[in-house]
Amino acid sequence: MTDAPARVLVVEDTPTQAELARIFLTGMGHEVRLAPAAGPALALARVWRPDAILLDIELPDFNGFELFKQIRAEGIDSEVIVITADGSHRALKEAMRLGAWDYIVKPYNKLALATPLGQALKKRGLERQLARVEEEARPSDRFQGFIGASPAMGAVYQIIRSVAASKASVFITGESGTGKELAAEAVHKSSPRAGREFVALNCGAIPRDLLESEVFGHVRGAFTGASADRVGAAKLADGGTLFLDEIGEMPLEMQVKLLRFVQTGTFSPVGSSRIERVDVRFVCATNRDPMLEVQAGRFREDLYYRLYVVPIELPPLRERGGDVLAIANHFLAQFAKEEKRKFRGFAPDAEAALVAYNWPGNVRQLQNVVRNVVVLHRDGDWVDASMLPPPVVRLGTGAAAPPPLPPYVPPPPRPVAEDLAPVPAWEPPAPIAVAVAERTWVPPPPPPPVPTYVPAPFVPAPLASPPVSAPLPPRAPAVPEQTEIVPLAVMERRLILAALRRTNSDVPRAAALLEINPSTVYRKLQMWRAEGLGETD
Amino acid sequence: MSLGADFAQLAEDLSPEDVRRVLSVFEGDVRRLVADMVAAGHTGDVALFRRVAHGLAGAAGAVGAKSLESACRAQMSRDDLDPASLPGIAARIQQLADAALVELAAFVAGLDGQSRRT
Repeated sequence: MTDAPARVLVVEDTPTQAELARIFLTGMGHEVRLAPAAGPALALARVWRPDAILLDIELPDFNGFELFKQIRAEGIDSEVIVITADGSHRALKEAMRLGAWDYIVKPYNKLALATPLGQALKKRGLERQLARVEEEARPSDRFQGFIGASPAMGAVYQIIRSVAASKASVFITGESGTGKELAAEAVHKSSPRAGREFVALNCGAIPRDLLESEVFGHVRGAFTGASADRVGAAKLADGGTLFLDEIGEMPLEMQVKLLRFVQTGTFSPVGSSRIERVDVRFVCATNRDPMLEVQAGRFREDLYYRLYVVPIELPPLRERGGDVLAIANHFLAQFAKEEKRKFRGFAPDAEAALVAYNWPGNVRQLQNVVRNVVVLHRDGDWVDASMLPPPVVRLGTGAAAPPPLPPYVPPPPRPVAEDLAPVPAWEPPAPIAVAVAERTWVPPPPPPPVPTYVPAPFVPAPLASPPVSAPLPPRAPAVPEQTEIVPLAVMERRLILAALRRTNSDVPRAAALLEINPSTVYRKLQMWRAEGLGETD
Repeated sequence: MSLGADFAQLAEDLSPEDVRRVLSVFEGDVRRLVADMVAAGHTGDVALFRRVAHGLAGAAGAVGAKSLESACRAQMSRDDLDPASLPGIAARIQQLADAALVELAAFVAGLDGQSRRT
């Protein structure tokens, strides 16, 4: 049999049969793992993601059909071939009902195994090939989760397609919010490794002491609190892709260990001298200039050259032209559906404002702005400029909001769609676009120098207070004009309470004004109540 | 006396080295499972007896020890298994298992002879 090598998990509790299957399968060139019971089989399937599972039904812990259901419930899409001594119609019907590719009645010889397995793996290969062809055939304004047909993004898509088949390391740079993780996933999904794990690790979010264990895993007793063996990201990504986000934040001593791993493909879990070998493709990302980091001594030069093989630079949103509207429409459709709103699209004045704004927070900021609009405005079919947050409309100049526009009369139906139809090329709507574009964005003046911080004793607020659901009495502004330096937690509380007063205790609206999640406000209020601080400052 | 053991299919599918490996695993399985079966017979544990018979049937079937396989399957599918009858059944199956292991040893010796000749 000359099938492409595949991962096959054999779930079999009788050692003779398991050994026989292992010999047959390795003889066919496949990689084989054995599990003697349903529990270990499920654990292995979750991590190893086999292409096919040979599943015995009579297992010591629980029935193989139950294992099959659990495998499917967890989204593990391995082809399953049921192996049973019970050749009854009922058992085989149940196997096929659950979606087994085929069944084999025991005892079986090599040919009886090779034929259905070969067919199952061939079908799986064809499905993957079809998915790749469909992906490539999609309109060019969509690519692996990206939206936009700007030339800058077209170049990015092309690099990803070109590099996907290789094992070469990819180094993604770009401002925050430009979609670096999405690009890393696109590399993975476009590659032959797509059926294996994509493991993402944010090096900046993991405490420095735990980073080595997160990457390489640890053995029981390796350090205080290591009560059991733990598999690390490197092992989980075996056969797949390891994405190291914010790699510039990785401590230098960890960079040495990563370099060895990149060079040799081997590592030792923390606390173990056992060498493990894996096949991993590296994709890294940073929002800093990696060469400057090397020059500043914060990033090892040898590691830089190992990882910086194929660079992908993601353009900021302000350089993506009409992509802004395509992405905004995508988010509008998505959030309108989630929040049960009727919005069909953006009015020309809103489109002009969106295009003219410089989006320092890139796509993530655009996403927040659109969510803000959808959450705060319940009525209307079209989003007009007055619904956008002031910074977007005023372009950060501090100028007064634009004069109210006449009521918007929608053009002939132009569905924005829940099915996300291709977005037509953007043409600026002449009069309003010009009016907005003329208000070029000027950055605000730098803040005055901050005086030396002198901690002041924190005085808790009075305990008695009305419930937050009741309208709060009018109060003097919580944040005085003359900047007062107080602990950040105090200022945070003042701002949140001020926003609640401004919105008559409407938490979602207050959260939108603060550009935070409503759950954060609820959580803070709960915390303050628990601390006896009440809802007044 | 042949008890219907047919290891030829194994020899057809596997290299002599792999055949030896599988038969070695089989020997370990047989000894362990027969001991479990005898113990289940002594305690009159019908459910355990059935489970062990199932495992032994699977192992025997995989290598071609047909008499042992069919004896085990016949017992595990019986609805009228009586705890009192289990020790006797276990003893008969133990005899079949011993015979299968003797045939197995002869087969492996044949393989060794072939290896020496080649």
